[in-house]
Amino acid sequence: MSVNVAVFIPVLVIAAALFIWSCFRRFRLVLLGKPANRFRNIGKRVKSMIYFAFGQRCTVNHGYKFGLNHLVLFWCFMILLIANTEFLLHGLSPNVISFSRLTHGVYYPLAYIFDVLSVLALASVIIAIIRRLVFPPYYIQARSRDAFTILGLIAVLMLAFFSLHGTEIAQGKEIAAKYMPISNAFSHIFSGASAGTLGAYANAFWWLHAVVLLSFLNYLPYSKHMHILTSIPNVFFRSTTKVNTQLPEEFKKGNTFGVGQVNQFSWKDLFDSYSCTECGRCSNMCPATYTGKLLNPRLVIHDIKVNLLKNGPLIAQSKATNMPLIGGGQEGSIADEVLWACTTCGACMEVCPVFIEHVPKIVDMRRNLVEMKAKFPTELLPFFENIEQRSNPWGIVPSDRIKWAADLNVKPFEAGKTEYLFYVGCFGAFDARSRKVTLSIAQILNTAGISWGILGKDELCCGDSLRRLGNEFVFDRMARDNVKIFKDRGVKKVITECPHCYNTLKNDYHQYGIELDVIHHTELLNNLIKSGKLSLNGSKDLGNVVFHDSCYLGRYNNIYEAPRQAVTSVTHRVPTEMERNLEKSFCCGAGGGRMWMEESTGKRIDVERVEQALAKNPSTICVCCPYCLTMFEDGLKDKKADEKVQVLDLAEIVAGALKK
Amino acid sequence: MLVVTFVKQVPDTTQVKVDPVTGTLVREGVPFIMNPFDVHALEESLRLKDKYGFRVIVLSMGPPNTEVTLRKALALGADEAILLSDRVFGGADTLATSAVLAEATKKLAQKEEIAIVMCGKQTIDGDTAQVGPGIATRLGYPQLTLVDLIVNVDLQAKKVKVRRRLEGRYEIVESPLPSLISILRRANRPRYPVVPRRLMAQDAPVELWNNKVMGLKEDTIGLKGSATQVRKIFSPERTKGEILGDGANKPEETAKLLIDKLLAKNIICLK
Amino acid sequence: MEEEKKIKRPRGVARLIVGKCIACGARCEASCNKDAIEMNAKGEPVINTAKCIGCRKCVKVCPAEAIEMYFTPEEQKILAEIAAREKKAGVKEVSTEEAATLAEIKEYKGVWVFVEHNEGVPAVVSWELLGAGAELTKKLGVELCSVVIGDKVENLCQESIACGASKVYVIDSPVFHYYRTEAYYKAICYLVDKYKPEIMLIGATGLGRDLAGAVATKLSTGLTADCTGLAIDDKGFLLQTRPAFGGNIMATILTERTRPQMATVRPHVMPMPTYDKSRKGEIIREAVPIKEEEIAAKVLEVVEDAKSGAECVDLEGAEVIVSGGRGMKAKENFALLQQLADELGGVVGCSRAVVEAKWMPVDRQVGQTGKTVRPKIYIACGISGAIQHLVGMQSSDVIIAINQDKQAPIFEVATYGIVGDVFQVVPALIKGIKESRGKT
Repeated sequence: MSVNVAVFIPVLVIAAALFIWSCFRRFRLVLLGKPANRFRNIGKRVKSMIYFAFGQRCTVNHGYKFGLNHLVLFWCFMILLIANTEFLLHGLSPNVISFSRLTHGVYYPLAYIFDVLSVLALASVIIAIIRRLVFPPYYIQARSRDAFTILGLIAVLMLAFFSLHGTEIAQGKEIAAKYMPISNAFSHIFSGASAGTLGAYANAFWWLHAVVLLSFLNYLPYSKHMHILTSIPNVFFRSTTKVNTQLPEEFKKGNTFGVGQVNQFSWKDLFDSYSCTECGRCSNMCPATYTGKLLNPRLVIHDIKVNLLKNGPLIAQSKATNMPLIGGGQEGSIADEVLWACTTCGACMEVCPVFIEHVPKIVDMRRNLVEMKAKFPTELLPFFENIEQRSNPWGIVPSDRIKWAADLNVKPFEAGKTEYLFYVGCFGAFDARSRKVTLSIAQILNTAGISWGILGKDELCCGDSLRRLGNEFVFDRMARDNVKIFKDRGVKKVITECPHCYNTLKNDYHQYGIELDVIHHTELLNNLIKSGKLSLNGSKDLGNVVFHDSCYLGRYNNIYEAPRQAVTSVTHRVPTEMERNLEKSFCCGAGGGRMWMEESTGKRIDVERVEQALAKNPSTICVCCPYCLTMFEDGLKDKKADEKVQVLDLAEIVAGALKK
Repeated sequence: MLVVTFVKQVPDTTQVKVDPVTGTLVREGVPFIMNPFDVHALEESLRLKDKYGFRVIVLSMGPPNTEVTLRKALALGADEAILLSDRVFGGADTLATSAVLAEATKKLAQKEEIAIVMCGKQTIDGDTAQVGPGIATRLGYPQLTLVDLIVNVDLQAKKVKVRRRLEGRYEIVESPLPSLISILRRANRPRYPVVPRRLMAQDAPVELWNNKVMGLKEDTIGLKGSATQVRKIFSPERTKGEILGDGANKPEETAKLLIDKLLAKNIICLK
Repeated sequence: MEEEKKIKRPRGVARLIVGKCIACGARCEASCNKDAIEMNAKGEPVINTAKCIGCRKCVKVCPAEAIEMYFTPEEQKILAEIAAREKKAGVKEVSTEEAATLAEIKEYKGVWVFVEHNEGVPAVVSWELLGAGAELTKKLGVELCSVVIGDKVENLCQESIACGASKVYVIDSPVFHYYRTEAYYKAICYLVDKYKPEIMLIGATGLGRDLAGAVATKLSTGLTADCTGLAIDDKGFLLQTRPAFGGNIMATILTERTRPQMATVRPHVMPMPTYDKSRKGEIIREAVPIKEEEIAAKVLEVVEDAKSGAECVDLEGAEVIVSGGRGMKAKENFALLQQLADELGGVVGCSRAVVEAKWMPVDRQVGQTGKTVRPKIYIACGISGAIQHLVGMQSSDVIIAINQDKQAPIFEVATYGIVGDVFQVVPALIKGIKESRGKT
């Protein structure tokens, strides 16, 4: 076959130039973002890239069956990349570059592999098309023209491949014909044709293949399939630690705070938006999306990308932009209500195959609303004022913090005299229901002979909700105040009742120069049981115990097993799991400051979660977080099930089983 | 034109507890805040600023640490802050307080035309609602107390139209500028300070006017200028929580018991 | 042996009694002529004993009795000695200063009550004040007078007399048709200057407080707001008792040097006088030269709540709130609470759960994310008392909780708790109130 090199060279040069230009235009916009250090720990990064991207761990995990299809397509694509490179180079210089010039021992296996992988690719593309058409997709937008275009292009590419090789085999030009079963089969279609016709066919198929390939290449940067270019580097640049905190801000005059315009994101945030495959797994997991809120994490990322593409070029030229990042009303602009709907439960990030970090972006945009515009749901105003003035969400007088301990002889924390600080938290100290949990923990600590003390009325709120709500300015002050108290009092080891305090003390405060040994009560209780410091008789019958994972313990801090083991020790039965459990657990609805906001759109998240629990026919629901406790009790009342189902914190379950 | 806004720094009385044993006030940990009524007054001033372009000057009489509250006002959007502080201002009742505040207003009026003098309906520590009328009377300004809506300001005709909330009725009143307005809490929902303004307010200048600046006669201000004297302070008789009936009694009996108690303590009167 | 010598009386130094200061507003600092007192950030005095000369001014001025004189043991010994000697000699300290002020204010006589009305319809508090004023006049041996200002208000003069006034000062003119501060305060000041009353009582209503503040300022006299108790001390001073500091303490206040002694008095606190149509009294008609053109403020419109018809509920301003929670079980049952609220002249509020269940609109919600209320009476029906609700209502004066669950946290803040079924207790209450009202 003789390719008209004189025609092909300009075609290839133009296509390549176009592609490079497109990529340049898009990727230079990423550089508009603020700096972010994503280059440390190269070794770890390479390893995770190999494991998650090349190993496709992230697409097949979490039980996604069709992830396997992606794995097949991914590897076909990677290997056929070699074949297609050869194809293009061969077109440039037909007589110099060709795999067929290699020794047979190399060429024949290659030809075989390419032929087989091509049919695998074709099959997986067809499965993908059928899936989008026949099986209910996660979301209807998965049936986009974009998706079908790219799948169609791949299918045509594969068919052109077989047809090209088929005609070549029919012409008798292909020495590896025997090793190309599919192409060989295709050759029979053309078996009756004359040599001239075959030549013309071959020429046509070659050009078809070339044009489709180059079109595909040029289409990529303009479609969601840009992820083919970006997702592997995005996995490389992923956060090397769990995304369980947000970065601090510097409060200097003249700075702007949060993200109100797309270039105020970091370059990695922008790169995230290019890496989104729009697979919809995040939306599938999101409790807000699930219950009919405006928030859809996939669309948040999509809107950031659209906004960048629209505003980026203008920003690069220092021109005024006309599509606001926050405000909504059009594609590329995110409505305020979307941002406030997030519970920061992290389910989206847990499930994202390319490690997009949704929550920090949402918090960054909340920061802009709170810190630059003072725009937020009205019910947050008393919350913000109370926290700032009284260091608790309700504005209760701080001396009431020790009310729960009124009948106990609780020691104040003193370095050297007491080993642990029991950081009770606002709920544990003020909320009538949670105070019972606090008393249970105190009882257990005393029974186990732990040396512990409290800060009493000097304890401050940890500021978790403030940070997640984007009120970083006040959080920053509270964090400094807390860290100062911990340092002044010589606090090293801290027991927390609330997973939110736990996460804040452990993961947020080290940004403020303190490394505390923080332990959540569930872990501590389990350790005490295991080490035999607590003797249980498990007399109380709790019936069927269903366990609920708190987001800030599980997903945020990988504490899954300790509470389950503790329940098992008490009841001698493994607790019943809900459908959505462990890293796929469904939020109670109170995280991310949602505790302090009304929930008027869609179904209430707590009611949804309670229904999921009731489906398991529980007598007791075990939780490990005061937020979850409140939300479950509320939800049960709404479902009028509060008389037959009780909600208990793990500490109450353990305390109830202590030998008297 | 100016909107002169008076604010007071008060102990957060909702946080004050009375020691059940000694009967004394437990003030420990009780913070000083901007009087909640004044927060609404300031908000109303800032809305006038946004709408009509007035300059908002906020003044407060109190000890030197009142500066904290004035900075909060600056963070919220006030243009200038003046602290009226001098030991001879101390111990003032409402009469002596209004003497200083009215004089400060006069001083401001010499430099710039005043449109409105704004204050909260009352403070949460004194609960008198007397200082506003006091200032207005001393200045000879019309006083519009208990305002829950400023309908409009007519800059041409120099008039302000407001809605006043009285027992069982509203009044729409029109008054010439300058007038004094005292604001009810229901008038508005206060804003939250944005961070750039907070940072600005941290080291913005707060002018100090002591009595050298004010030049008031000492027997008209502070403790000496006060017409009232506090003879004594004592704890109110406090009804401790009690459970009536306990579910065992008949509802009618329990209801009767409750009504009798309420009547006996003058909590309700059935006439 | 020391008995022979003249001993110098030790003056001691002032000292703060820990825990008693209420941060009243630096009265002690202001009273100190030697600058020996500085206030700290908490508003409490720090006394510089080196500067203190033991003049006792701060001790006298402190309303909370938080400052005492401190004497060293040696000084105490000397004091005891002096006391012992004086006991023998029978020395007494007499203040001439007080006598002088008393003489100055002697020419003011009589107790006045301002009769508040809205276009001729009297406010009940005015009659309550005549009842209270009668007690004071008895003690002082003076006349009880009422002041009626308005447009065609003759009937109010007669009613004043029936309620106990022996004299009525009346100014009747169209310019007083609507209440306007300027016109009214000038009229009252005119009467006070002319007739010099020693006590003037005004209802602590919105109108009353508006007026009293202006009058007292013009007359440069003392005014005590929102009194709940009135009495006369042995020197004839009016003792005005009122809650302060958000109701956490009571203060007794005096106006010692100026007259009249003015007070606004909280409605529904003083007893109603017996109404007696046959009483006789003198009506003194006065005229004040105030012209309509001189009054700056114009009342353009008055909208009565009853006539406006709009469903506007003023939760924050309400004196009585009957609030329902999830325990009310259904939307229809709120009619029951409305009945109770109507009986007590209150409004109906609710908890968050109720709004979420769409039983009540969101503007009725009390709590963290709703409204913060401070009524005189808060009746919580079927509300368990989640912390978010408690913070919105716990500073109410009297909290009555009705709930089936004995353990409900609402009982922790309740003044009166009733453990029982809302659907039995509330109807019983309504019935009970109706019966009690029938009796009086």
